[in-house]
Amino acid sequence: MSKGINTVRASTIALLLLPGVGYLVLFFGLPLARVVLGSFAGRGKDAPLATLDAWQQLFANPVYLDGLWFSLWLGVAPTLLSLAVSLPLSALMQANESSRRFFGSLYRIPLVVPGIVAAFLVLVMLDRGGMLMRILTPLGLGLPKLVRDPVGLGAILASSWKTIPFMTLIISGSMAAISKDVIAAARTLGASRLVILLRIQLPLARPGITAAVLLSFIGSLGSFVIPNLLGPTYPLPLSVHMWSEGFQKGNWPLVYAMGTLLSVMSIAVLLAYYFLIGFLNRGEAEAQRLGARPRAGASRAPEALNANPA
Amino acid sequence: MDKSLSIRQLVKDFGTTRALKFVDLDVPAGSFTTLLGPSGCGKTTLLRAVAGITDPSSGEIYLGDRRIDRVMPEKRNFGLVFQTYALFPHMSVEKNIGFGLEMRRVAKPDAQRRVQAALELVGLGHLAKRLPRQLSGGQQQRVALARAIVIEPDVLLFDEPLSNLDAKLRDGLREDLRELQRQFGITSIYVTHDQSEAMALADEIVVMKDGEIVERGTPVDLYRRPAYRFTAEFLGLTNVIAADIAGSRCLLPWGAETRVENPGAKAAEGVAIRPEDIGITADPEGGGVVTHAVFMGASTHYNVDIAGLNLRVVAAGGQAAILEQGQRVNLTPPPALHLLQTFAPMREAAE
Repeated sequence: MSKGINTVRASTIALLLLPGVGYLVLFFGLPLARVVLGSFAGRGKDAPLATLDAWQQLFANPVYLDGLWFSLWLGVAPTLLSLAVSLPLSALMQANESSRRFFGSLYRIPLVVPGIVAAFLVLVMLDRGGMLMRILTPLGLGLPKLVRDPVGLGAILASSWKTIPFMTLIISGSMAAISKDVIAAARTLGASRLVILLRIQLPLARPGITAAVLLSFIGSLGSFVIPNLLGPTYPLPLSVHMWSEGFQKGNWPLVYAMGTLLSVMSIAVLLAYYFLIGFLNRGEAEAQRLGARPRAGASRAPEALNANPA
Repeated sequence: MDKSLSIRQLVKDFGTTRALKFVDLDVPAGSFTTLLGPSGCGKTTLLRAVAGITDPSSGEIYLGDRRIDRVMPEKRNFGLVFQTYALFPHMSVEKNIGFGLEMRRVAKPDAQRRVQAALELVGLGHLAKRLPRQLSGGQQQRVALARAIVIEPDVLLFDEPLSNLDAKLRDGLREDLRELQRQFGITSIYVTHDQSEAMALADEIVVMKDGEIVERGTPVDLYRRPAYRFTAEFLGLTNVIAADIAGSRCLLPWGAETRVENPGAKAAEGVAIRPEDIGITADPEGGGVVTHAVFMGASTHYNVDIAGLNLRVVAAGGQAAILEQGQRVNLTPPPALHLLQTFAPMREAAE
């Protein structure tokens, strides 16, 4: 009898969860599972059902390992460069109405230029024999190698061209949410613009900044067009290896292994972020607990609370 | 150092709107001056220009004989208290109060002592470790007050600091605030749209309208002898009546006679009679009829139709019988009345 009721209850809960969980499973879980499972698949007619061949290839070959590190570099470097530009830019936009309008229209321009176009822009401008070179050469000036250079400067610049406006959009939004009075109060108390940026704006805009950093990192980590066009011939990032392994060599298990690895790195960064936030919030909750909540009785007798730390 | 404040011909334009029109104002050292006016009159703009948060379009501001209108706000050493409290939400109460001292590079033990003293001053010594959001509105504003006072500012500026608080809290904090200001003798400017707050606090009230100063004076002078109708009507309730004036004699529309104390007033708009200055007596032969009566406890508010006018009359409660609606009454004017002038706003040509 009660077993029947439990079954009904369980199926009701399952049915209620279906729209949310079902969506995740269908559009996120299944494709990811397909990628992960594919990385263990064997190749050829008499291959075993599951094998670690692809993973062994991935980790045994220095070409791929260099690719892994280069992918990480292409994720981290544009993110740091963009952050270095976006933070002051976002802060400047808060200064007054005219600077908000000026920088506000400026940073939006790259948002409407697709990545491939941005890559070609960098190519046309910065390559040997590019526009900048032609302008500088008569002046007796030269440029370092910026396209297909070993550290991927061209690719980093092109990625940043895309991520700077994106980051600025998010960060300036969270800075704009800070009360103007709070900034004014800091100024009258003697804080310079730099101190206000470091002590008031950055801590209060932290959620927006971390979100922008994460999204930019994950986006650049897997970018294909820009490093393919502007990056060096060696090392190649995993994204480019995935393309050539799949479409030129037909080694799909290796492609899936690389895809899994990139996903795991993204998820790891995300989890690290949540862990950090949780840790910081716990610290804050601890401070709150020690500070105790304001109540009529509590505010008059704080020592009573200290006597009972639980 | 002279801590008086002088404002000379201050103008502030926002686009095509002129928010301040050649404002001149002197605030004596140690005095408490209130800027009073309806919203949009420019009082907050004036305060922010003094604080340095808003750049004036032209004009000069002096602290003593030092010109400060081009000095950055962080170099002015002015304390500012906001309607929104504007505490740093991510800092504890003591960090908030200590922020200004930190910016002034005050040595840590000294700073700690001063923060603690400021906390005790506003009665929040036990809340030092809390975050602002864990405090009530009144407590937050006390923290903001402590934060502004602890830096020992040359001038204290208040931008409607009590407007977000409920009535009971407001009265308590208002008294404390005035007490602290007196104790330290800090030159203060206080912006408000609440006339009773202005009268309770100020040494001098400056009445503003449409970006200019209408008139200024002590609360008693402005209430009893305002020059302009705008002031008379903004400060408390008043009846403005067109009367026949001959010399200092004044004949009111319902036949009562009294005199005016300022017969020379230019472009007179009429005479001002405060509702509480009118005597009201039940009289079956009287010319007035009570159209509305509201018992307020300490007093009773009447509306009386008389000689085609509808006047407000306030009778002290206590002993007097409450008059009914429809009852005939007689109204007695006070022995002397005050003639009101028309306020002429600055002509645009003056720009």
